[in-house]
Amino acid sequence: MKLKVSLLCLGFFLGTFLHQAYAQNLNASGSVKSKTTGDPLVGATVNVKGTKNSVVTDASGNFSISIQKGASLVFTYTGMGAVEYKVNTATPILIQMEDANKSMNEVVVIGYGAKKRRDLSTSISSISAKEITAAPVADAAQALQGRVSGVTIVQGSGAPGGTGGTGIKIRGISSLTGTNNPLIVIDGYPLPDQQSDNVLNSFGTGEIESIDVLKDAAAASIYGVRASNGVIMITTKRGKAGKSGLTVDIYRGIQQAWQLPTMLDAREYAILNTEARIASGLTPIAKLADFNAIENQFGKGTNWMNEIFRRAAMQNVTLTATGGSDKAQYLFSAGYFKQDGILYKTDYERFNLRFNGDVKVNSKIKIGNSLSMSKFIEHGTDTYTAFNSIVLLAQTAPPTVQPRNTDGTYAGGNGSTDGFNEPNPIYQLEVPHNKNIKYRISGNIYTEINLMKELKFKAMFGGDFNYQEINNFSPATPSTGGRPFIQTGYSVQKGLYPDYLAEYTLTYDKSFWKKHKINAVAGYTFQENKYSYVVAGRGGNFTQNIPVLNDVIFRPTDISQTYNGAEDGVNSRLMSYFGRVNYDYDNRGFLGISVRRDGSSNFAPKNKFAIFPSISAAWRLSQEKFMQNIKWVDEFKMRASFGYTGNPNVAANAYLQSINQSFQYTFGNSSGSGGVVGGAAPSRSYNPDIKWEKNEQLDIGFDGSVLGNRLGFSVDVYQRRSKDLILYVAPPFVSGTYESVPFNTGTLQNRGIDISLNGKIVTHNEFNWNANAILSTYKNKVVSLGLAAPLDNGFTRITGGSLRTTQGLPANYFYGFVTEGIFQTWAEVAAHAVQTAGTDPTTSTAPGDIKFKDINGDGIINDQDRANIGNANPTFTYGLTNTFTYKNFELSVFVQGSQGNKVLNFSRWYTEGGVSNGNYSNDVIGRWTAAGTSSKMPRLTLNDPNGNNRVSDRFVEDGSYLRIKNVRFAYTIPTKWADRMKLKKTQLYLSAQNLITLTNYSGMDPEIGGGVDLGFYPQARTLLVGVTVDF
Amino acid sequence: MKKIFLSPYIILFFIALFFTQCKKSLLTIEPTIPINSVDNFYKTEAEAIAAVNATYTPLSAIYNGSAWHFGDIMSDDCDLGGGGGGDGLETAELDNFNVTPFNPIINTMWAQCYYGILRANLVIERVPLVPVMNASTRNRSIGEGRFLRALYYYHLVRVFGDIPLYTNVITADQSSTITRSSKQDVYNQIIADLKVAETLLPNTYVGDNKGRATAGTAKGLLASVYLTTGDKTNAAAKAKEVIDNKALYGYDLWTDYGDNFKLENENGKESLFEVQYRSGGGQWSDYGAGQKMNTFFAPRAQDIVQSSGYGWNVPTKNFIDTYDKSGVAYSTITDKRRNASMWIPGDTYGSYTQPASLVGSPMGLNVKKYFVPVANTLGDNGGWTCALNVPIMRYAEVLLVYAEAAGPTLGKAAIDQVRARAGLPALATGLSDAQWLTAVYKERRLEFAFEMHRWYDLLRHPDPTYFLTVMRAAGKTNIQAKHRYMPIPQGERDKNPNLTQNDGY
Repeated sequence: MKLKVSLLCLGFFLGTFLHQAYAQNLNASGSVKSKTTGDPLVGATVNVKGTKNSVVTDASGNFSISIQKGASLVFTYTGMGAVEYKVNTATPILIQMEDANKSMNEVVVIGYGAKKRRDLSTSISSISAKEITAAPVADAAQALQGRVSGVTIVQGSGAPGGTGGTGIKIRGISSLTGTNNPLIVIDGYPLPDQQSDNVLNSFGTGEIESIDVLKDAAAASIYGVRASNGVIMITTKRGKAGKSGLTVDIYRGIQQAWQLPTMLDAREYAILNTEARIASGLTPIAKLADFNAIENQFGKGTNWMNEIFRRAAMQNVTLTATGGSDKAQYLFSAGYFKQDGILYKTDYERFNLRFNGDVKVNSKIKIGNSLSMSKFIEHGTDTYTAFNSIVLLAQTAPPTVQPRNTDGTYAGGNGSTDGFNEPNPIYQLEVPHNKNIKYRISGNIYTEINLMKELKFKAMFGGDFNYQEINNFSPATPSTGGRPFIQTGYSVQKGLYPDYLAEYTLTYDKSFWKKHKINAVAGYTFQENKYSYVVAGRGGNFTQNIPVLNDVIFRPTDISQTYNGAEDGVNSRLMSYFGRVNYDYDNRGFLGISVRRDGSSNFAPKNKFAIFPSISAAWRLSQEKFMQNIKWVDEFKMRASFGYTGNPNVAANAYLQSINQSFQYTFGNSSGSGGVVGGAAPSRSYNPDIKWEKNEQLDIGFDGSVLGNRLGFSVDVYQRRSKDLILYVAPPFVSGTYESVPFNTGTLQNRGIDISLNGKIVTHNEFNWNANAILSTYKNKVVSLGLAAPLDNGFTRITGGSLRTTQGLPANYFYGFVTEGIFQTWAEVAAHAVQTAGTDPTTSTAPGDIKFKDINGDGIINDQDRANIGNANPTFTYGLTNTFTYKNFELSVFVQGSQGNKVLNFSRWYTEGGVSNGNYSNDVIGRWTAAGTSSKMPRLTLNDPNGNNRVSDRFVEDGSYLRIKNVRFAYTIPTKWADRMKLKKTQLYLSAQNLITLTNYSGMDPEIGGGVDLGFYPQARTLLVGVTVDF
Repeated sequence: MKKIFLSPYIILFFIALFFTQCKKSLLTIEPTIPINSVDNFYKTEAEAIAAVNATYTPLSAIYNGSAWHFGDIMSDDCDLGGGGGGDGLETAELDNFNVTPFNPIINTMWAQCYYGILRANLVIERVPLVPVMNASTRNRSIGEGRFLRALYYYHLVRVFGDIPLYTNVITADQSSTITRSSKQDVYNQIIADLKVAETLLPNTYVGDNKGRATAGTAKGLLASVYLTTGDKTNAAAKAKEVIDNKALYGYDLWTDYGDNFKLENENGKESLFEVQYRSGGGQWSDYGAGQKMNTFFAPRAQDIVQSSGYGWNVPTKNFIDTYDKSGVAYSTITDKRRNASMWIPGDTYGSYTQPASLVGSPMGLNVKKYFVPVANTLGDNGGWTCALNVPIMRYAEVLLVYAEAAGPTLGKAAIDQVRARAGLPALATGLSDAQWLTAVYKERRLEFAFEMHRWYDLLRHPDPTYFLTVMRAAGKTNIQAKHRYMPIPQGERDKNPNLTQNDGY
């Protein structure tokens, strides 16, 4: 407050000199500082308004420039709001610049250009470097979680390096069969979609300057057919004129699982397993028959959770060097990131380099480049498939089974003695070597030519080269149990996936008649995506257990499986024309019109080009006279936009009728298995009219700030409709074919509200408290499936899967049986419908079994009695960041959460059902044993004759959670000490990730991609310490 | 403006544009693997042959999964058998004549026949256009396409009556709007196709091509089609053509009836056409390479075949009583064909003896025709499906078609030849036409037992109510007139509003 008052005084003081102002040159000098940190700003541009006369601030933030008395200076600095200052005297000027981050002056990256947030007529959210690096993550997308309204981020797994993938959904989902990933554009280069594969963990988070999310159709439609899921614009850091420096950031941390399930100990397991076997009419396992002996022999038994989980280290070093003059600027950045997984034997290591440069060749031509090179190596294990996830194997492994024998050899369950011969989790973690290596070179060069004062031409050429190597080696290794590898297997896959881009744009920028401003862009771009891979594998009895495919040197004594393959070609080519005109009237009214025409090689000849127009308008009411009197409103803007975007979702050659070569028949003398001949015929009809999916979106929003800019807000209400959805329709067999044919049919709708607020709750010289909050909510609905039948997805252990999509409901709701408690008596069993069709209830059902609801009332529980039992869409998601600064201390607390989402906890299918004599969850102790003992946990059986384990609401849980996602405490060493150490700035920090999670969810982690928990890799709680030094 | 025009940067700009890849042709990418598209296939002889091979493929599934349900189980010859309860519900629907349009066995017959028809149409349309191809192979291939199209339509028209008929390469749109053609049109097409096929197909094959359709096959089938349509004159003439030229085609009867059903005699001298199977390995599958009747028909749970035997398709008392016998007991049956056709209690195989009764077969009767013992699954590698082919037409049928069509005077020698092999005396002379028809029907029933002919013989009888009378007499009283034709699969009608349903469903 003090500062503000002093500034006002200064202004008043200066104002009194205005009367004396007349044309007179004077030397204006002073310094520029950051208002938030008080640090001098190095390399800020100081421009005499309306002239080309500019200087940049020096290493101490000082400047000096000649100026006519009464003229204005404009101070600009990337990431900060511009400041204008009228000079009337030679008195030293102190300029305090404010983080533009939340201010309306922030410059936002839009497609093929940039624009001030204040002037936007579309819906775009942004986050800055500070928020991106606040969390110790390998994948920058994870940093968006809870920071940007309208964007739902689900970290599908806690696997190190984010290799489990990060689900990014902007405003719900738009496609039922195609990708729902947003288009990611890095420094103007649209990256190819990599489906579930993570696209951002090749890039260091420390390289990123800002991320802008284009949410509404008007913002995204400039990216046309790829933009229906929104666009994420990533801008990497660049050098700045006059500012040189070296920053080193280092942190080290320790990670640990924050919650592990409690399983039964040896004695409990023996008791319950025996009970289950007797109930199923099976002989108890001899080894488990004597409970006391079990306890004497094994004590508590093997705690498999402790065997497979560990404390794990992580570390990161980022080095950033920047420098430059007026003519040339560069940024060089190098990073090293290493994360051990909390799951034993898993880890991820990344090296990355970046070089971004800009050179002004002369006053007309500028050239530059962005270049990123990275390599990562991942050692992973299966934590994502229903029956092989190590996490689930460890939960079900009996406590009476050991990972190792006393002599150190591998043990594991034995079918004959333990009745359990699932793989030994420790063996599975230690023996197979799974290595995934990825090299990625991604970058572009550009040249920018000023053809006229208002007209600029830019040409950009870029490439994104992904080279990936996947090695899986499973050497034959003896073990006394747990299904060891009897034969050695080795497979290698190497692939290069190059993508090329050429892009030309013309930008026209003109102000006329004082109040009118036009910005127009026209462009052409061409992008090509190719692939080339080699794959080879051997399985059999290798002479030596080493991972080499050279048959001459390491010839297997017996190759039972050999496969080789190689293929290369073009995935797709995209040829596009686009244009946009933005018209600003007097900083009050804004109108934007854009159109893009995309042609894709995947589209059928008759539907080769798709056109995506959009329109948007905004009105800054706060500029109007009638608002001027409302003093407490500083800024208020209303926006509306409507536009079209697309989802290509058409596979190459889908419009052609393909030939299926897998048919066989037999001729000749074929008394055995000989005589086979190959046959070829089409097995799929074709749709020559197949085209992209079309998304239309209406967005109405308002932005503003009130109370002396202390409270900023932005609210958007939208409706998205995805039309012409590509769905697969089963053909009539009369067609002579049986494979489903893609048709543009069906409509999906998302309606929602995005809210973001930021407040400067306390602004004081020494103490500041800023808060930031976002809230997103949407409702997803399948309006129509058109010609297609309901879609079944998900866990398919039980026929029909666990997820279903039908008309009128959200996509992929959980589909299963409804439970009505537990049968307490035989009378209840007899009175109820037959639980398993075609069986005798007196043998297939007993008291203690789950009672399933007879929905259609036909007296039989069968597939017709399944219903919508919940869905994974949250009612709303939210994030709240509080940042407190006091003198040199800064504390930031980031809370993030999701409310109302359901999780189908299918790990309980294993841990409450006793699959193949496996261990149970501790909760099973409260099972039904006699009338009135339980109304939730059914009796124990081993073969589940009543089908207690069928997909039902029994397994549907509330997945709501509130998580203190990140707490960061930082201390900046006072300038005088830093000076003594010849350092510009040094900050020490402590940070905690996933510190506290509040949830009723019973599984390991409520954050589940897709809503069905199959025993994924849980997220860790991380504590770390770091230091940032500016040299 | 002048200044701008001269600017070197403008020139640079146009140079850049020059390099721009604006050609629309770039957006057309030929399929990387050319055979990905129908328009790029059918260019070489090998591709033409592959197209023909695929046209045969549906036969495996039709005979594994569908044909015997109609030919045998629906008829008075057999009942479901099996394990009872919920075992084979869809088969029971046919056996008990409470079939619905949702029955999957009906669907299999419908779908597989149309797969074959589309493929045959492609062969007939594309093979003549293959640029370079051996002339005799080209003729043969087109002939196979014609023959197989006729065969598939023949199956469909007998099961469903009026059906969608097309001879072009149908589009997705056409297949969702096509209407049903009359039986007469379908038969006309079948006859036309077979008349072309008999001129294009070779008389015999050697080696690896054995099992393909020959001119004799086409003529034999044509005779059968004529007989079915009631055209006795042409039926007799066509059958006689085969009989007179039997040396040309290499046809004759095996001395021992049982030789027809042995692995080592596949595509033998009596065979006009059979479904070609090889060992399928693994589990049974309708769509695999192997024949599953071995598993399905063998005595239930007796372990004389792989997978223990399921005991389906159990012969009825009505059927076994048709055999001539010297005493009361079935062991006194004099017809030599019985032992090769079915198990009766007391039959032995190695140390196995057929018991007096079995689950699903209270009289201890089972089909033996497709029996490949567990010890003799040549090259079967423990698989559940065997390599034994299934006859579609044997030379004996040509003889009996001729006998039936030619009548008591001209046809007597033919039927007597078949009876003689079965150890039966020649028929009496001077039978009336009605007596003659009864005698031929009885002969066909026994000669082609469990060869999936019986139901169709009942239907084509000159008396349109014959099948109702016979079936009711055999105890299948649920049968109604509507069961002459099976219902059109509901899934097909859901996708094609123009597809009408047969009466009564």
